[in-house]
Amino acid sequence: MRRAVLILGAVFGAALLILWLSGGLTAVQASILAGQREIQSALASAVRRIKTGQPGALTALLTVCFTYGFLHAAGPGHGKVVIGGYGLARRVPLLSLSAISLAASLAQAAVAVVFVYTGVAILGWTRERAHGVADQIMAPVGTAAICGVGLWLMWRGFRGIRRQTAVQQTAVLPHDHSGHVHDAHCGHTHGPSVTDVENLTGWRDVAALISGIAMRPCTGAIFLLILTWQLGIGAAGIAGVFAMGLGTAIVTVSVAGLAVWTREGALASLPGQSITRILPWFEVLAGGLVVVIALSVLAEVL
Amino acid sequence: MKGDAGMMPRLMMMGLGALLPAMPANAHPHIFVDTQIEINFDPQGRADGVRVTWTYDDLTSLQFIADRGLDADFDGALTDAENAALSGFDMDWEEGYAGDTYVLLGAAPVQLSGPSDWTASYQNDKITSSHLRRLTEPVAIGPEPLVVQVYDPTLYSGYYIVGEPKLTGTSDCQITVQRPDLHVANARLDAAIAALPGDAENDFPALGAAFAEEVRVTCAARS
Repeated sequence: MRRAVLILGAVFGAALLILWLSGGLTAVQASILAGQREIQSALASAVRRIKTGQPGALTALLTVCFTYGFLHAAGPGHGKVVIGGYGLARRVPLLSLSAISLAASLAQAAVAVVFVYTGVAILGWTRERAHGVADQIMAPVGTAAICGVGLWLMWRGFRGIRRQTAVQQTAVLPHDHSGHVHDAHCGHTHGPSVTDVENLTGWRDVAALISGIAMRPCTGAIFLLILTWQLGIGAAGIAGVFAMGLGTAIVTVSVAGLAVWTREGALASLPGQSITRILPWFEVLAGGLVVVIALSVLAEVL
Repeated sequence: MKGDAGMMPRLMMMGLGALLPAMPANAHPHIFVDTQIEINFDPQGRADGVRVTWTYDDLTSLQFIADRGLDADFDGALTDAENAALSGFDMDWEEGYAGDTYVLLGAAPVQLSGPSDWTASYQNDKITSSHLRRLTEPVAIGPEPLVVQVYDPTLYSGYYIVGEPKLTGTSDCQITVQRPDLHVANARLDAAIAALPGDAENDFPALGAAFAEEVRVTCAARS
């Protein structure tokens, strides 16, 4: 039963994830983009109400920001690509990946706050200058970091494949006379076990994922921070940006769930001993996916 | 077992294929400009100018106001001095900026002057500015329509024609507003981007035009 659910997940999750990541859900995206004007208007209204000290204004701002973060992450956001790619590639537990998603979204908000208050409040940048630095320096660097995560996944995948091939070559020859025994153990005892692979998911991965996502600032967050700072209601803006981060996290955590479901479903549909053989290919392909998306984003920016 | 192993890779490759052309289509306007168009005619009945009125969305308006430190008391009204300071705020055009207004006679581009006679005001939380673009050569309009298109080639700003376009100084012409079929325009955008090797910037003018709202003026044929 559990296996059936998992396999269903593989089919359902893979279809939805690929549609989503590839922008195939155009109907959803069209409605997201059509909502941009309403969102901007609601944001302006909330900021005005805070500035004029009306009751309930902060709640309104946080609500708009949360929605904005959710919609933008569901549409053009980059975080879901990183989390989705990583979740497909590595046997990382759902809870860990969800925690990483949440941390990355909040870190992105924190980076935006530090960036704006350093640049605009301390260094005296204009709004154009701040957006310029964000778009032309931080975004490419962040994208390069994401690309790096993809390459890292691919490299590890290839290393796993090479190690398996080596193990198979040395293992097959001596066991030539007892093929049935070899079948049951080869690649399981000599290759990296599933547990080994899971344990490889260390702090470096976590740091790379979080910084890859956090380094690419959200234009809307920077805009709001500068505007509220100019109007003397900076604290409300900072709160709003963290609300955006939480909205973003809803999306990336959902993607994390889909990715884990897809991956485990696909693995559950395989006979036990082939899992170890397949895992490195997951890494190579998912890593490749992340690299291609990162490069296409980079090509747009540069 | 080989077949099972191939499932995910195949699915992923399909995803990869669908990915590249789809990404840039996420572009959407960040500035929303309600646009009014008035076409002026000279005493000889030739079109000689277009007055363009832009009303910026309230967030963009708020940003312009905050950037300039205007309306410090935040009562939604500007003092006379502030109004004077606001005037012309969007008229300092960079070299090569076409003003997001394009005039055609049939399909042939009509030359426009730079902006003049501008105004600006701040009401109902929105900034409205207007300016005049003269036709370098006045145009006698017949059955072939004079077309005024409003669009940002890069699609960063979205221009939307509001209100009834005005014809000033003539009585024997008709004016209609045409809006793009967004479905067709999006399909064209996707197709054009898919055909490009990653460098979409250079071809953006044609793409912005695909989303253009426009007014078309036709007049009775002259004897």
